[in-house]
Amino acid sequence: MTGTAPPPQGRPIGDRPAEDDAAQVVASATRATAVRASLVAAAASVLLVVAIVLGSRLLRDFDSALVPYAVATVFLTFGVVYRYVVWVSAPAARRMFVQGWKAALSWENLKRSPAALPRMAATYLGFQKFLGARSHARWAAHQLIFWGCLLAAAITFPLTWGWFTFTSADAAGPGYEMRLWGLRLFGFDSGSFLGWALYHGLDLAAVMVIGGAGYFLWRRMRDRAATTGQRFGYDFLPLLALLTISVTGLLLTFSEMFLHGGGYEFLAILHMASVVLTLVYLPFGKFFHIVQRPAAVGMQLFKYTARRRGSDAEELQACRRCGQPIDTVAAVDNLRATMRDLHLGFDGWAEYCPRCKRVLRGNAYLSNVKRGFK
Amino acid sequence: MLGRTIFIDPGRCIGCQACVSACRECDSHRGKSMIHLDYPDEGRTVASLPTVCMHCEDPVAPCAEVCPAEAILITADGVVQEADPTRCIGCANCVNACPFGVPKIDLEAKLQMKCNLCYDRTSYGLAPMCATVCPTGALFYGTVEELQAERPGVDVSTMFAFGDTVVSTGVAMVVPGERRTPVPGGTLNLIEVNGRPTPGNGARA
Repeated sequence: MTGTAPPPQGRPIGDRPAEDDAAQVVASATRATAVRASLVAAAASVLLVVAIVLGSRLLRDFDSALVPYAVATVFLTFGVVYRYVVWVSAPAARRMFVQGWKAALSWENLKRSPAALPRMAATYLGFQKFLGARSHARWAAHQLIFWGCLLAAAITFPLTWGWFTFTSADAAGPGYEMRLWGLRLFGFDSGSFLGWALYHGLDLAAVMVIGGAGYFLWRRMRDRAATTGQRFGYDFLPLLALLTISVTGLLLTFSEMFLHGGGYEFLAILHMASVVLTLVYLPFGKFFHIVQRPAAVGMQLFKYTARRRGSDAEELQACRRCGQPIDTVAAVDNLRATMRDLHLGFDGWAEYCPRCKRVLRGNAYLSNVKRGFK
Repeated sequence: MLGRTIFIDPGRCIGCQACVSACRECDSHRGKSMIHLDYPDEGRTVASLPTVCMHCEDPVAPCAEVCPAEAILITADGVVQEADPTRCIGCANCVNACPFGVPKIDLEAKLQMKCNLCYDRTSYGLAPMCATVCPTGALFYGTVEELQAERPGVDVSTMFAFGDTVVSTGVAMVVPGERRTPVPGGTLNLIEVNGRPTPGNGARA
């Protein structure tokens, strides 16, 4: 309203704490969350260090050339856990987190639909079916990046922690043995296809990632939906980081195969720097979606199991005006509780479908503001 | 203080759907229209109501507050953006929490979509698609001064009352000059609508 004293806004009238008190409450809650997150993150980092020391048989198998990578994973653990704790401490995420885990750990749900959790984990996290519904090309490119990164992480993380070791089966060769925590997993001939694949696993991962990230980079420059509101740090940096890691990684193989190791030391440092910076950046940018995405499984499982508890009439919330189903009763209740946590005093509107909310407002405007829309 | 924004005047809307078609041309969600055009009292009056995202300022973006995935971001200029596709988990919290009934959801794609004030255009000073094509000025893009220069005697409101709660928004509605109270968001606990009982109040299943 222009030119008039504004009426109270935002929170319910009469239920609004004084501004200073509210600011103090928020500040102290934020501080408490930060302290809790720091403690949990520090504990997780210490746990990883202990696991590295024990898994590398008291550092006997630890490759000191890989120290920067191992240190980066410790920082990564701290960052991810800190950010995760802060994230799930917010009201909406906390309630969804609790409901998701309740649904996942419920014995009753497991008996009723034992395949639901593995099926959802495979479709949402592994094959990312929802991305196919957004765009087939994006799905394909994302799958390349996803499986490429997963392969690279599965190879490199245990290597930098000294968990994987490769030892000669005998002095004469060409037999090799792969060991985990010092225990023999399997033996292979270094000249065999399996040997070649093991040594070039990271090259394969790099090719996959370059394919996927290259497509996304092209899209970021050409697609008008993607370019709207894009930011360098959030949208471009992750792609450039993936490409730098992959290209410098491939160049190491190129140097070894065709340049007799020429420039290898420089490339190794360049590769290491790009990996370390990416790992440290991971919790704070776009890459954090890797950690957040499993929430989709929790959310879907929560809704799916709630719906299967009874008939649609019992478990689906019908719009109070038109009767169309809105969501599961459990999901609407969870949302209303979240809204009350956030002092959003209009949670009653959540029991109306979007169209009815608009029509109710239109009717009120028609009868109270501009009678007959005149 | 309102800057350049959309002013909605349902009194001028003729329900022609031009805005709906134009919205589909917006680059940030090409092929999908985000504007809603409703006929609140269909069959009795020709009244129609266009709804774009109101870009709530206080409480700031309830849709973003209830998002468990931190997917809805608000730019420094107060524009509440559609869900970041990287983060959105498709839980529909925003859809059900929005008192204006704005966000849409694609459950298959696990993605929320909504009006982002044609950010690809407005961030470059161009008017949103809907306001560009509206033939009657029901959707006007500009400043309050520009609106009032064209339409003497009108005022605008960014206050909407939902029960006891008042929500203030970045997008405004045109109100009569003498009006000083928030625009009502509607009355709940309806027993009947347009002469017919609502579900739970004797409506036929």
